[in-house]
Amino acid sequence: MAISELEIKNLLHFYNQKKVLDIPHFQINPGECLAILGPNGAGKSTLLRIASLLEKPVQGEIFFRGIKADSGNELSLRRRLVYLLDRPLFFQGKVRDNLLYGLKIRGIKEKEQQKRLEEISELFHLRALLEKSPQELSNGEKQRVNLARALIIFPDLLCLDEPFSSLDQTLKEEIMREFQLIRKKRKQTTIIVTHNRDEAIYLADRLAILISGQIKQIGTTGEVLSTPASLEIATLLGHETLVEGIVDGQEKGLLRIRAERYQIYAFGSAQNGEKVKIIFRPEEVILAPAKPQSSIRNWFHGPIIEIKPLDKVMLTVLDCGFHLKAYLTRSAVEELGVSPGKEFWAGLKATSLSVKTLGAEKEN
Amino acid sequence: MILGLNFSEIIEIIRLTIFVSCLSTLLAFFLAIPAAFFLYFHHFPGRKLLISLINTAMGLPPVVVGLLVALLFWRSGPLGSLRLMYTPAAIITAQIFLAWPIITGLTLASLYQVDPDLLLQARALGASRKQLYLVLWKEARLGEISAIMAAFGAVISEVGAVLMVGGNIKGHTRVLTTAILQETRLGNFSLAIFLALILLAISLTINWFLTSWQQKVIRPWRYQSWK
Repeated sequence: MAISELEIKNLLHFYNQKKVLDIPHFQINPGECLAILGPNGAGKSTLLRIASLLEKPVQGEIFFRGIKADSGNELSLRRRLVYLLDRPLFFQGKVRDNLLYGLKIRGIKEKEQQKRLEEISELFHLRALLEKSPQELSNGEKQRVNLARALIIFPDLLCLDEPFSSLDQTLKEEIMREFQLIRKKRKQTTIIVTHNRDEAIYLADRLAILISGQIKQIGTTGEVLSTPASLEIATLLGHETLVEGIVDGQEKGLLRIRAERYQIYAFGSAQNGEKVKIIFRPEEVILAPAKPQSSIRNWFHGPIIEIKPLDKVMLTVLDCGFHLKAYLTRSAVEELGVSPGKEFWAGLKATSLSVKTLGAEKEN
Repeated sequence: MILGLNFSEIIEIIRLTIFVSCLSTLLAFFLAIPAAFFLYFHHFPGRKLLISLINTAMGLPPVVVGLLVALLFWRSGPLGSLRLMYTPAAIITAQIFLAWPIITGLTLASLYQVDPDLLLQARALGASRKQLYLVLWKEARLGEISAIMAAFGAVISEVGAVLMVGGNIKGHTRVLTTAILQETRLGNFSLAIFLALILLAISLTINWFLTSWQQKVIRPWRYQSWK
């Protein structure tokens, strides 16, 4: 097995006697992009600062490719990585000086510096900006320079704290796409901290969910999205529909759940009479103007109350006794004539639903 | 002879003035910068009190400094054996006492103006401790130069302490300020005015250089308003 780029063991960290991080084990593999997703105040940035050796944890061990960090090798290990703060901050001087800073302090030879500057300016379209002062740049240009001054170093590990949060949607997509291309080409090992699930889904190979200083779930992005380990995580992951219900019976391996005016069929394990929450993702929903003949077990009915454009799809909300959220493509919205007030049927396969017992949720 | 004063005598006064003011500012600067950096990076009990004392000392009455240095260098004083009383060294010592708190206090204030996150970013890009100090130093340059200007202005225009510990001895410890004082007392107003103009000219020249240095750092206000 390949040795991990970064490994953290038995991490405990406190601020004013309050425990802010408690992570028994955490690792990142070479070449992968790991996103740490969590609400504000979960300890994401603190974890990233500790992983970048910028803050010493109260307790815990940090390994870079198997080498344990201590006060003796701290600087040389820290120089293998780059951490970018959640807003681009530049030194006085020109864009050129800022780009070269990381190379200069590492004592890289002048000739090599110029070669890499050429390369990175090409990659991030910065040629025209080199002689400008960073204060003169637009937000998008600033973020490009910021990423470029990190990647020019060819770090073993790149740590990004909310790297795209200061950008508007269009610009964010453009720069994220550029960054992702370069990251994949270079096989750049990256940790990204974000509270934005779309960023995480787009960029990450693996997703770690950090809530109240603990990693509640970690796995491939697909895994975590399709099977959130708890209600808390499902909520954090966004646009999921949540319906409360009571288990009514068991039918051929399926749970029959009574919720609102519906009988819902889903996989899961729960006792009869137990209170549960049913969670499903908006991309799993099928909308139809009339209830069709099909293998789909669960159908809900109600008028559309909201249509909201997102980056690639339209978020459609139906009032089916509860608020049901569905993603539709723009063309589907046009073809079906989806508009507020119009009634639709929403279908969901039993496999698309995940069932969480509320009792278990309280234990977490 | 210019207005009743020997040409070489005037040159000597100017030379000594520039020498003691520049040297004392320079020495105070080298003592103040480490102090300011230490106070910036270290937190210890009594730190706030110490900073308050330094800030108070920025406005230290020169005669009090003069008295303090006189007590130090007086024949029976702790440093009396060095026989420095009424020498340029005594003047420089007094001026260091005046300049040090000004440079320390103003530099510390200018260090606080630098965004601490920028320092974190420097470390996150791989800066060592020394490289971090250099970033802080460069980013705070505007305020640091102002601190030097303020200190230099204070020492070159100082008269009380210089008179007390220097003694205004002709050809030995007479500087422009004490000479102006002397000539005014004697009623030689035209000579006093002449010396005052020289003092202002020196002050202006040195500040001109420091300001030019400072202006390299700043980004000027460029926005045309309606009114």
